[in-house]
Amino acid sequence: MNYPFWDVPFIGSGWVIGSIAIFHVMISHFAVGGGLYLALAERRARQIGSDAWLSILEKHSKFFLILTGVFGAASGAAIWFAIGLANPEGTSTLIHNFVFGWAIEWIFFLLELSAAAVYYYTWHRIPAKTHLALGWFYAVVSFLTLFIINGILTFMLTPSAAWLSAAGTGQETFYFFQAFFNPTFWPSLGLRLVICASLAGIYALITCGRLTPKENPAKAEMVQWSARWLVPSFILMPILFAWYLAMVPEVQRAFLSIGISSAAPGIFTQVTRSAILTTVSSATIVVAVYLFVWKKPEDFTLGAGLAILFLALIATGSTEHGREMLRKPFVIGQHMFSNGVRKSDVATFNQKGYLTASPWMKGIKIPSKEAGLIMFRGQCKSCHTDDGYRPMKKFMAGRDLPAIKNVLGVLHDYKEDSPYRRYMPPLVGKPSEIESLAIYLDSMVNGSAADAKK
Amino acid sequence: MNTLFQNAFKTAYNWVDERLNIGDAIAFAGKKTVPEHKHSFWYYWGGISMFFFIVQCLTGVLLMIYYRPGAEAYESVRQITNEIKFGWLIRSVHSWSANLMVLAIFIHMFSVFFMKAYRAPREFGWWSGVALLVLTTIFGFSGYLLPMDELAYFATKVGLGIPGSMPGASVLVDLVRGGAEVGDATIQRFFTLHVVVLPALFVPLLGFHLWLVQKHGNAIPPSEELTPVSERRSIPFFPNFFAKDLAVWLIALNVLAVLAALFPWDLGKQADSLSPAPVGIHPEWYFMSSFQILKLFGRWFPGTLGEVLGILVFNLGLVLWMLVPLYDRESPSGVKARRVTYFGLAVLAITLITTFWGYWEV
Repeated sequence: MNYPFWDVPFIGSGWVIGSIAIFHVMISHFAVGGGLYLALAERRARQIGSDAWLSILEKHSKFFLILTGVFGAASGAAIWFAIGLANPEGTSTLIHNFVFGWAIEWIFFLLELSAAAVYYYTWHRIPAKTHLALGWFYAVVSFLTLFIINGILTFMLTPSAAWLSAAGTGQETFYFFQAFFNPTFWPSLGLRLVICASLAGIYALITCGRLTPKENPAKAEMVQWSARWLVPSFILMPILFAWYLAMVPEVQRAFLSIGISSAAPGIFTQVTRSAILTTVSSATIVVAVYLFVWKKPEDFTLGAGLAILFLALIATGSTEHGREMLRKPFVIGQHMFSNGVRKSDVATFNQKGYLTASPWMKGIKIPSKEAGLIMFRGQCKSCHTDDGYRPMKKFMAGRDLPAIKNVLGVLHDYKEDSPYRRYMPPLVGKPSEIESLAIYLDSMVNGSAADAKK
Repeated sequence: MNTLFQNAFKTAYNWVDERLNIGDAIAFAGKKTVPEHKHSFWYYWGGISMFFFIVQCLTGVLLMIYYRPGAEAYESVRQITNEIKFGWLIRSVHSWSANLMVLAIFIHMFSVFFMKAYRAPREFGWWSGVALLVLTTIFGFSGYLLPMDELAYFATKVGLGIPGSMPGASVLVDLVRGGAEVGDATIQRFFTLHVVVLPALFVPLLGFHLWLVQKHGNAIPPSEELTPVSERRSIPFFPNFFAKDLAVWLIALNVLAVLAALFPWDLGKQADSLSPAPVGIHPEWYFMSSFQILKLFGRWFPGTLGEVLGILVFNLGLVLWMLVPLYDRESPSGVKARRVTYFGLAVLAITLITTFWGYWEV
C-alpha cells in the first residue's frame, strides 16, 4: 500500500514473475543436478580411462557454464527485480525474516559461479584428482544453494505454527529455524532433488544429441548413462509428491479437487489444471525416454533432446505454477494475503480505513472514482488485470453499480461459507472506500454510461 | 522373472501370429522405406492430422454419453462443462483437437502442394486429401452449433445464410436447417450429420487415402529429385519412421494438453433467437478467409450479385486447386511448374491475408 504500484497490462505482474521464475527453475535446477552429474561422470570416465567420455564432458561443462553462469544468474537477479516490484510487502517480509539465510545463500552463489568457471577453464591444466575434487566442491555448494532457497520458498506456503505465533510481534527472527525447517521443507527438498537429477540427465542428452557415433564412440554409452538420471524421479516423484501434499494444510490441498468438475471463468481451478499438465507431460517423458533414448541410444538426435527438454519445460512449468497457486489466497501462508495485506491488519483496515495512511491519496476525496483506482491497484491488481489475465471487465460484465456493490460486499464480509474465501483475500476498508472501488469498477465495466449517471 | 515374462510374451505373440500373420505385416513394413532429406519434417503432418482425428473419435464418444441433442442441448453441454467430473476437460480436448486437426490438415495440404506430391501417380491421393479437408471443415461447422450457445447459434445462422442467398440453394439450406430458422430441428440434423453421416464418409475416404500413401509411398520434392538415386537416403518405415511418428504424436498430445488445460473451452450464454446478435459475431478461423472474401465481394458488388459472384469465385478457386495435378505437367523449361508454385503461394497469401483482415474487422 505504501509502495508504488507496478502496473503490467494484460498479463499482470504475476505472470512476469512466473515466466522468469519458470525459465530460472529450468536452469537453476540444472545447475544443481548438473554439478553432481559432472562430478560423477568425470569420476566414472577416469575410472574406465575413457578419453571419449572426458571429451564429451569437457564440451558439456562449457554448455553448463554458459547456461547456468549467464542465463541462470541473470534470470535469478531478474526474479529479485520482479518480486520487489510486484509484491514489495512480501519481499520485505522475506528479507527481514531471513537476513542470515539470504547472506549465506549469496555466498554459496558466489562460490558456485566461481567453481563452475574454474572447473571449465582447468580441464587438462591441473591434475585430474584436483579437477575432480573441484567438481565435487561445485556439487556441494550448488546443493547448498538449493537447500537454502528451498527453506525460504517452502516457508511461503507453510511458515510453521511457531513462526505464525510470533508474526507481527517483532520477534519473528527468533523462530528462524522453525520457519526454515517448516512442514514442507523435506518433501520439497526431495522433490527438487529428483527434478535436479532429471534435468541434469536431460541437458546431458542435449550435449550427446549434438554428436554422431562417428565423432565420439562413447555417445551411445553416455546417452544411456544420462537417461538413468531420470529414473529417480520416475520412481520417487509420486511418493514425494504425496508426502508433500500431506504436509500442506487441508484448505490448500482442497484446491486440487475444485477443478475436477468445472473450469468455468471465475472459479479457481488452476491447481487442478496444472496437476493434469504435470501428469501428462511427466508420463510422456517416461515413455519418450524409454522408447527413444534407452532403447535406441545410437540414434538419439539433438531434435529428440530438445523435444524432451520441451516436455520437461511443460512439466516443470506446470508444477511450479501449481505450487504457486497452492498458496492462494496467501503469498505467505496464513500471514499475508496475495495482495500484500497482512491477516492481522484486516480488522484495523476495516475500522480505520485502507487508504487513510496511503501516500497516494493527496487531494483525492472519498468516495470517488480516483480513490477507487487506488483501492483497485492496492487490493485487486496483484492477481487481476482490466481485460487480460483474470479480467475484471469479464468477471464483472453484465453488472450495474448495485450488483457490483453486492459482489464487493460479499468479498468484504468474508463469511465462512463464502465461495470466494477459498482463494481470494478479503476486501478491506471502510464502507466509503469500498464504495469508491465500486464506482471505479462500474466505470471500467460500463464505461461512459456509468460516468454519465454520476 | 524377466525370462518368464519374455517367454509368456513370445507364446502369446506366436499364438496371434499363427492366426493373423502379423509377422508378415511387420516384415513388409520393415521393407517399406521413407525418404530422408531436408524437407522430411513435412512428412509428419499427415500423421499429426490422423492423431487429432483419433482424439476426436475418442473424446466424441465420451461427450455423446452426456450430450442430449434438441431442446436440452445447451443444458447438457452446461452439465458437461460445469458438473460432470472432467467433462470440461473432455470437451476442451475435443474442441482444441478439432481446431488443431484442421490446422494440421491445412499444413499437410500446403506441404503436399509445394512438394508437388500430387503429381502422377498420386492424383487420387491429392483429391481424396482435399475431400478430407472439406469434410473436416463440415465436421467443424456442424459441431460448432451443438452447444447451442449464443455464439454458435448466430455463427451458424450467418453461415447457413450465405449459401441460402444463392438462387435455388434455399431449398437445400432449409433441408439442412430443418426449417426456416436455426432451432432444435437444426441441432438434431447437425448432430446426425456430425456423428453418423460425416464419419461414415470420412473413415472410408481416410482408409482410401492411407492405402494410396502405402501404395505409392512418400513423394520426394523436386529439389531432391536432382540428387542421384544412389545418393538418396531413406529409412525403414518400421520401426524407424514409425518411432519418429510416435514421438511427434507425443509432442502433439502435450501441445493439446497445454491448450486444453490452460485455455479451457468456454460456454457462452444460452442462445435466444429473439435477442439481437452479439457484437463481433464471426465464423471459426478456418472459415474466416472465405467469409472475408464473400464480404469483400458484397462490398464491391452490392446486393445478391456480390454474394453470388463471391460464391462462384470461391468455388472456381477450389476447383482450380483440386485440378492442379491435371495442369501441372512436366515441361522442359519448368515454366509450368513454377507458375503452379506461384499459384500456390498466391492462394496461401490470400488465405492468410483475408483471415487476418477478417479478424481485424471483427
